[in-house]
Amino acid sequence: MAATDPENAATLVSPGSEVLGPGHTYGSVTDKISSIVLTRGTGKKYKAGLALAIVLLLMLNYAVTVLMAVGVGIFGINVPVGWGFAITNFVWWIGIGHAGTLISAFLLLMRQKWRTSINRFAEAMTLFAVACAGAFPVLHMGRPWLAYWLFPYPDTMGVWPQFRSPLVWDVFAVSTYATVSLLFWYVGLIPDLATLRDRATKKFKQVIYGIFALGWRGSARHWKRYEMAGLLLAGLATPLVVSVHTVVSFDFTAAIIPGWHSTIFPPYFVAGAIYSGFAMVIALAVPLRKYYGLEDFLTIRHLDNMGKIMLATGLIVAYSYIMETFMAFYSGNPYDRFMIMNRMTGPYAPVYWVLIAVNLVIPQVLWISKIRRNPLWLWILSFSVQTGMWLERFIIIVTSLHRDFIPSSWGMFYPTRWDWMVFIGTIGLFFTLFYLFIRFLPMISIFEMRELVHKTAEESTH
Amino acid sequence: MNDIDALRPKLDRLQRGFLLIGVLGLAACAFGAYSNWTLFLRSYLIGYIFWLEIALGCFAILMLHHMVGGKWGFIIRRSLEAGSRTFPLLALLFIPLLLGHSDKGLYPAVTGSSFKAFYLSPDFFTGRVVFYFAAWMTLAFFLNRWSSQQDTGTTDGLLHRFQALCGPGILIYGFTITFAAIDWVMALEPNFFSTIFGMIFIIMPALAAMAFVIIVTMLLAKRKPVSDVATPLKFNDLGNLLLTFVMLWAYLSFSQFLIIWAGNLQDEIPWYTVRATGGWTWVAMFIILFHFAVPFILLLNRPVKRNMKALAAVGGALIVMGWIDLYWFIVPSFYPLGPRFHWTDFVTPIGIGGFWLAFFVRALKSKPLLPLHDPRFEGVVQHG
Repeated sequence: MAATDPENAATLVSPGSEVLGPGHTYGSVTDKISSIVLTRGTGKKYKAGLALAIVLLLMLNYAVTVLMAVGVGIFGINVPVGWGFAITNFVWWIGIGHAGTLISAFLLLMRQKWRTSINRFAEAMTLFAVACAGAFPVLHMGRPWLAYWLFPYPDTMGVWPQFRSPLVWDVFAVSTYATVSLLFWYVGLIPDLATLRDRATKKFKQVIYGIFALGWRGSARHWKRYEMAGLLLAGLATPLVVSVHTVVSFDFTAAIIPGWHSTIFPPYFVAGAIYSGFAMVIALAVPLRKYYGLEDFLTIRHLDNMGKIMLATGLIVAYSYIMETFMAFYSGNPYDRFMIMNRMTGPYAPVYWVLIAVNLVIPQVLWISKIRRNPLWLWILSFSVQTGMWLERFIIIVTSLHRDFIPSSWGMFYPTRWDWMVFIGTIGLFFTLFYLFIRFLPMISIFEMRELVHKTAEESTH
Repeated sequence: MNDIDALRPKLDRLQRGFLLIGVLGLAACAFGAYSNWTLFLRSYLIGYIFWLEIALGCFAILMLHHMVGGKWGFIIRRSLEAGSRTFPLLALLFIPLLLGHSDKGLYPAVTGSSFKAFYLSPDFFTGRVVFYFAAWMTLAFFLNRWSSQQDTGTTDGLLHRFQALCGPGILIYGFTITFAAIDWVMALEPNFFSTIFGMIFIIMPALAAMAFVIIVTMLLAKRKPVSDVATPLKFNDLGNLLLTFVMLWAYLSFSQFLIIWAGNLQDEIPWYTVRATGGWTWVAMFIILFHFAVPFILLLNRPVKRNMKALAAVGGALIVMGWIDLYWFIVPSFYPLGPRFHWTDFVTPIGIGGFWLAFFVRALKSKPLLPLHDPRFEGVVQHG
């Protein structure tokens, strides 16, 4: 009886929908994942990819050096558009990070076992995305070396942060998020680091992995404490999924500018963050499973589920666009109406309509299950969504600022090459970190996969 | 094991009792309407939306369950279905509001050539009401029909059909209830607007309905067949869902408040200044405390969620708080200085509720109390 878990039976009835390929044992799972790090070495494609990422990273270094020397004047920002690419990129990157936390913490609490094989690299993605995001507000400050003024410390100048400003809340929200994500990721790695320590053949590797494994021996007491710590961290991290992007949305809504001051922003931003985050997970997962032959671990079922989550969160985003437009007309407020009309027909109208196409219209193909189950289509679609979510933040920031209440203060924002270099440079930073991660750490949680092998075996013998 | 006959006499008695309460209550309402039409309408609006929310919430949670599966749906599914089958009655009970829509004591007139005047014009308003109910009744009809088919053992493609309907169904639910909330509640103060308003009204019914079905399940669990499957673990799941809705409600409500407070703009802020000053201060405080803080803390505790009586008590309190919350949403539009009760405020929910509950019981007893032959629930009974 109960050959299938009733909780997942609805999707398990169709073939090709398992969360783990057939015929795996504890040993084969461990071999497969640890060999990527320990014995497989690096291929040509890996080296080429890493090299490209490092080139982009060097470009970022160059652009940031110039930024430090010259100032934010090298960007396209000016009055009235004081927030340009930097804040767009900040919101975009931090949004991408959210899927990792959602997968690792929220789905753990929900007892969704399909998360097992994607949580590790999704968490890594979160960390690297937060690193990229965190750089932008600092770089955007004008004098980044004074960023620590944002913290409330007793200084001799009598400077104290304005705690009514959501920008200050951001400092705390993002740094908390980064800390908890790092802890959660690292704690999750400990048993696997011990596995690598035990399997490594070279002394140097044994010592390095051994140091980070913190003396893990896998005793029953270790596991008991470990499970408890994992649950507690998951409980801490879950509210952060919501709170961080809610605070980011307050950065806009606390102002009274039409296009920013809208009550739907908090849930809308959270949904958008998860939307773009899952797009990034798919963008990373599809090539990884192909290149490293991980089709048994990252199954079609995973892609299908992620596609569904993207569809659902994308629809919440669509709902929000519709509410904003409707309320602009319903409210009878001339400035709100002008803001929407300006987005649709003003100088940035082409950007707006591309946004609608790639973020709302095209993703509707996710209703079709064949597309959700086709890795290539899903991969292409993930880029559509990521472009869309970047454009969305650009539209929110730039079109709301560039034409405000008085026509005499209107202006345009055009990105400079420095804007582009910093933006693309952070993509380089992200991928450099990610390439190093898949080379030196197990990208799929080995011990959780072993658990999954155990559970799958248990179910089939029932 | 799915025998309802033992319970039938009890349910029949219950149905008759509710019907009697409904008839008496609505008779009193009719007297109220005769003596003061405007005051009656104001009370009726609250009472009506209160019960409609429970029906809509049942309908929404039912669709959510079909979409995501999950064992938690097994024990409450028949209650959810019964709730969703009350839309015809609710459509009928909407008539007084349709007649009263033009009453200036209820909805202030919006004139001129603005989009708002067009949107809130009587014809467009009526057209939308017809559309909402048509959409809800159609969806609920198919959900119930397929569920009955499943009971007879036909399972071919039914799961797929449920999912194919519920995806778009949830979308339709979201949009219809959003615009219904704008039409029926937000339009009470035509200058006010808030983009999150619809979302708050998407969650409020789910919260009320979850609390309601927990109480119904607790009552049914005294006898077979529900008592066989009503394990503490099941109630734990239901309690977690209730907690989720409480948190979502608080999150959305607080977001709206914080943004409007920070913006302090003349179109929006009066909505809150009225609701947070004078006699309304205490109502607002009471809502924060007992619609969020206290149930939140209680529902974090496992013993509360696993004890069905305790959980049902929290659910009952949340239903009462739902009514107070609705009162706080609606009545300050008429009485900015503080709560002013009229006797019809109490009679309308009882009258509508009597009829609604009689309909609910009738729908509930027409089917086995637990769904049969749903492959998603295989093993639920055996494993508990």
